[in-house]
Formats: sequence, structure tokens, C-alpha cells
Amino acid sequence: MTRRALAKQRTRQRLLGAARRLFTSRGYDAATIRDIASEADLSTGAVFASFSDKAELFNEVIIADCETLLAAMASVADAGSTAETLLRMLSLGYEQHYEQLPLTQAAMGFSWVRDSQHEERYRQVLRRVVAQLADVLRKGVERGELSASLDVPLTSEMLLDAYLSNFRRAIFDGWTNDALRERLESQIDVLLAGYRAAA
Amino acid sequence: MASRQVRKAETRERVLAAARDLFDEVGYEATTIRAVAQRAGVAVGSVFTTFVGKAELLSQVMQDRLEALYAELEQVAPHLRGPTVDRLRSIMAVHYGFETRRLRLFVAYIGASFHWESGNGVIPIGRNDRLKAVLLDILQRGIERGEVRPDADLTMFVDTILAAYIWNYRLAPQDGADASTMIAAMDRQMGLLFDGVAARPN
Repeated sequence: MTRRALAKQRTRQRLLGAARRLFTSRGYDAATIRDIASEADLSTGAVFASFSDKAELFNEVIIADCETLLAAMASVADAGSTAETLLRMLSLGYEQHYEQLPLTQAAMGFSWVRDSQHEERYRQVLRRVVAQLADVLRKGVERGELSASLDVPLTSEMLLDAYLSNFRRAIFDGWTNDALRERLESQIDVLLAGYRAAA
Repeated sequence: MASRQVRKAETRERVLAAARDLFDEVGYEATTIRAVAQRAGVAVGSVFTTFVGKAELLSQVMQDRLEALYAELEQVAPHLRGPTVDRLRSIMAVHYGFETRRLRLFVAYIGASFHWESGNGVIPIGRNDRLKAVLLDILQRGIERGEVRPDADLTMFVDTILAAYIWNYRLAPQDGADASTMIAAMDRQMGLLFDGVAARPN
């Protein structure tokens, strides 16, 4: 990477960090581009050199979180049972978001209204999350723990749906990480219940 | 009812109808209270004497719509025929058919409700106890008819199918998916999940 590209990359990281802090503490609407620039100790112009608008900045903060989660999920060791491995991987997401629930809440709302370009970029990352879950399921089928008739793509998507839906409990009902994890464990159980190979 | 109360009820209905149409036509963000008042033919002030703000309006529009839908589902559910899994599918298909008639309104509601605090006259997404009760009742009858395992975790079944149900709407605005696409997705999801509660032949 050239020196120039490196400097650009650093500016981008600084802006993402500042944006994350302000979106978390003030919420999406109240955090202005001007505030974010000053939090990063940069000019407003520098923000627009890296991001086209606040929505893109926010989308990139969310995607950076997904990338962190993906890396963490990839390092989860096989727990021996498919359900346990899936649970450990997805619980990492709850732990990550628990620290920044206001940001997560704003991100959830945003996810339903963002434009198609941002949505496509976000979905690319989500597809990688689904692919990791699918890998775990496939291994379960290979070692005979799960039936070969399991629809792996459909199941991994439904796992993601269940995982995401539980954030509502944290946001609106004050559920703790342990409660989310316990709920997810039961959901994984019902999703796999019909496909456990007979012992 | 005194004429004053009648007028008040009429204003409320007109405001809700105007809000519903505008949310669906131009979206939630772009809809202003002023535009709602104008469409309803009432003063801006009378919108505020009835509702705290836009969020409460959207919430109320949705509660009214869902109220009507749930009443219909509750009436129809006991008369459904065929295997349990197909009865469940039918209920969800009716639901998608109903919501996709005003898709933009529904998606706006899901997005906006994440910004709401519980209370304050607004109800966040996912508080659909009547829908859950209808699904649970069908599953319960499934147990009685020997199609569903009596020890199956039915609450978690309903919880998990509703998670898939909501996220299927994500297909809608971006991919231009219509009711039949979402119903087809739900049919597969329901089939997979039902395999986990189905009674197995001995």
C-alpha cells in the first residue's frame, strides 16, 4: 500500500471509531457529521472525502461490527456437538452488541429503511455469516450427527433469523446476554429437532 | 353518544385513515403531521389533541389493521382442514396476503418501531400474542389428533417461526418480492420446523 493509501485508511478508521462512539452515546439522528468530524479531530471535508453521507458512515460502522463478529466466529473451535458450536458462535454476537445496545437498536431500525446499495453491501456480509453457520451444519451431517436430509441453506438462514429476532428482547425487554443465549439454545434445538440422527 | 363524542370519533377515524394512506404512499419519514391533517381535512391542532405524535399514529394504524386481521384469523382457524402443518401454513399465508396489500406501511412500521420505547402509546414489533395464540391452538389440536408430539416445545416453535416470518419481509422492498414469494419461503420454513415437532410413526 502506498503512503497515501495508508493515510487514507487511517483517516477512515479514525472516522469510523468516532462515528461509533457518537452513534452509541447520542443515537443516529442526534450525531451530526460535524460532531463526528470534531470527535475524530478532522475537518468536515475529511468526512466527505471518505464517506458520501451519514447513512453510509453508519452502514460502514455496522459492517465493521459484522466483520469483527465473522472473525471471532471463525476462531470458535468445534465444540463437539453442532448445536453447541452454533450457540458459541452466535453468542459472540450477543456479547459484542450488549456493550453497545443503543447502537444496535439504531442499526436494527436502519436496516429496514436503508437504500438498496447499502442493503446489498450489508447482505454480502450477512451471507458470509450464514455460510459459516452452514459449514458447521454440514460438518454435523458429515459426522452423522445430523440427518443427510437436512436442508442446510434453509436451516442456516433460519438460524440467523432467530439470532437476529432475539435482539428485540434485549432492546425492549431488557434481557441479559444469558437470557438471549438460553433462548437461542432452545431455538437451535427446535430447528434441528427433526434432523437429529437416531442415536 | 353525544354529538361531540361522535365528532371526535369521526375525526380520529379520518386522521387514522389519512395517516395509513400517506405512510403507505410516501413512507413514514416523509409523512408530516401537517400532511396528515390536510388529507384528513382537519386542523393540525386536532391531530395533536388525539395523538401524541407520528409514532403513536403509526402504531395505532397498525394496531387497528392487525386487530381486524387477528379477529378474522381467530374465526377461521377452527374451521381449517387438512394436516396440521398445512393449517399453520394457511394462517401465515393469510397474514402475508394481508400485509403485502400495504407492504410499505408494514416495513415502515418494523423499522420505526425499533426507535420506540415501550409504553408512550406505541407498541413495538413482535407483540403479536393473538397470532401466537392462534398458532398454538392449531398445534394443540395437532397433538389431540396425534400429528404433533405431546412433549414438543410449542412455544419455542411459534417463537422461531415468527422470527423467520418477520425477516422474510426483508425480501420485500429490496427484491420486489410479492406475497406469493414470501408465502413460498414461509411454506419451506414451516416444513423444516414442523419436522421437529411432528409425531413419528412407531
